[in-house]
Amino acid sequence: MSERIRNVATVIVIAVMAIALVLLTSTQPADVDRVEQIGLRIKCPVCQGESIANSPSPMAEDMMDLVSERVAAGVSDQGIIDELLGSYTGAVLLDPPASGSTLALWLAPMVALALGVGVILWWQRHPGSDTHDPAPPVERSRTRLLTGGVVLILAFAGIVVVASNSLQDRPAEAAGAAALEGQDLSEVSNETMEAVVAANADNPEVNGMRLALAERYFEVGDYRSAFPHYLLVAEDPEATAGEAVTALVRLGWMAYDGNGEVETATRLVDEALAIDPRSTVALYVRARLRWCGAGETDQAIETFEGLLTDPGLDPETAAGIEADLELARDGGECP
Amino acid sequence: MTGRVLRWTGLAVVGATVILAVVLASRFGTDPGLVDSPLLGEPAPEFDLAGLDGSDGTALSELRGDVVVVNFFASWCLECREEHDDLVATSESFADRGVTFVQIGYQEAPAESLAYLAQAGMSAATLYLADPGSRTAIAYGVFGIPETFFIDPEGTVVGKIIGEADALILGATIDAIMAGERPGQRITGDTRQRPDP
Repeated sequence: MSERIRNVATVIVIAVMAIALVLLTSTQPADVDRVEQIGLRIKCPVCQGESIANSPSPMAEDMMDLVSERVAAGVSDQGIIDELLGSYTGAVLLDPPASGSTLALWLAPMVALALGVGVILWWQRHPGSDTHDPAPPVERSRTRLLTGGVVLILAFAGIVVVASNSLQDRPAEAAGAAALEGQDLSEVSNETMEAVVAANADNPEVNGMRLALAERYFEVGDYRSAFPHYLLVAEDPEATAGEAVTALVRLGWMAYDGNGEVETATRLVDEALAIDPRSTVALYVRARLRWCGAGETDQAIETFEGLLTDPGLDPETAAGIEADLELARDGGECP
Repeated sequence: MTGRVLRWTGLAVVGATVILAVVLASRFGTDPGLVDSPLLGEPAPEFDLAGLDGSDGTALSELRGDVVVVNFFASWCLECREEHDDLVATSESFADRGVTFVQIGYQEAPAESLAYLAQAGMSAATLYLADPGSRTAIAYGVFGIPETFFIDPEGTVVGKIIGEADALILGATIDAIMAGERPGQRITGDTRQRPDP
């Protein structure tokens, strides 16, 4: 057989195979159901790489039912696909779209084919163009082996690094109790804080947020809303000393200011002082109770003066004590 | 075939392989369930679903004017159980502020969802609905549960939480919507696609 005949035969064989391949991939058997055809294009969202037509999962069955309904209603294939794309994005398609970031996947085989043809043609046109390597054959082999080995190792290392960086867990955000500490509450609504403390009723870490919420209510005079939160903190054996003192002092002041219960108020503040005898807020409220509730102005003045000697006193509290002290000295009534 | 051509061809093949591997590897971590929902910024898909107990249907359009929080859940979903108390507490906390919580059973019989809720606790302020044929779950593009969608008073999807949500995240998202913001999508953890075998 001459070379010409062999070449012609080769071309014919390749052409026949190409035509067969095109026919196999571009035509579908006539008896394949249209619903099935569409289902084969749609990825089951709760499965791993299965179409809804092939998956036994109930979700896939539900989606096949939906496709069937749409087909019966006369919706076009693309109309059905578009409906699902509107809910799921292109992630619901088994074949990635030939556009955007997935276009490269479609173009890669054609580019590879073109490169292969180019290399073959180049070889044919430049036979034996590199036959004069000055290095001896053994040295050339070692050099090639070394170069190839280094390239392969670097390539493998690159793949491992990229893959390991990509295979990360979901970027979960801090949730639950972890989010309760150090949380900036300035933009959190009372309703959100109510929900958080209700959902974390058994978590002592929520006491900080509970107190912050109670303070919001206290500052606007909403004692009814503040009371249960202060009470829960005061009764929580796992509350910190600072939290318990704050809660007891506030409860005491509300008992006096809201209901005029001097004795109850004094008892609660004394409980706070038993926990922390140096608590500024407890001492201040105790002094105000003496002045306002029990008429013990001299003792109150003494306490006010003592508190003002504390160099660590914050300016706002100091200003309040100074105003009370001045009023008490002048014989004025408790505001 | 010459040595130089062979060498360059080999290098080209290795280079092409590396580039292809990098492209493919960069997609390994891309869970299709984590892509931004195409519903964000779009009108929320309408639904009209009966209660899990068979009670009269509730249409989303009836809730127009409220912030609506739509949560898909199931008794077989551990993450759903974890977030349940927070959903109940947040629903009740915001009940008087024009916020309606809707929890839709996903891939299980209404009786099973109801039995679970009876044990876990229900909020009087939440609507518990059945989704026969998963039509609503499909319309919302649910990949796994829990998934929670936030719909503003005009009926636009403005937020989505994938994974377990707590009261702080739920409340902060509602706060943002009430302030006229569009919180978008956030991922708080894993989701479940189906009951464990």
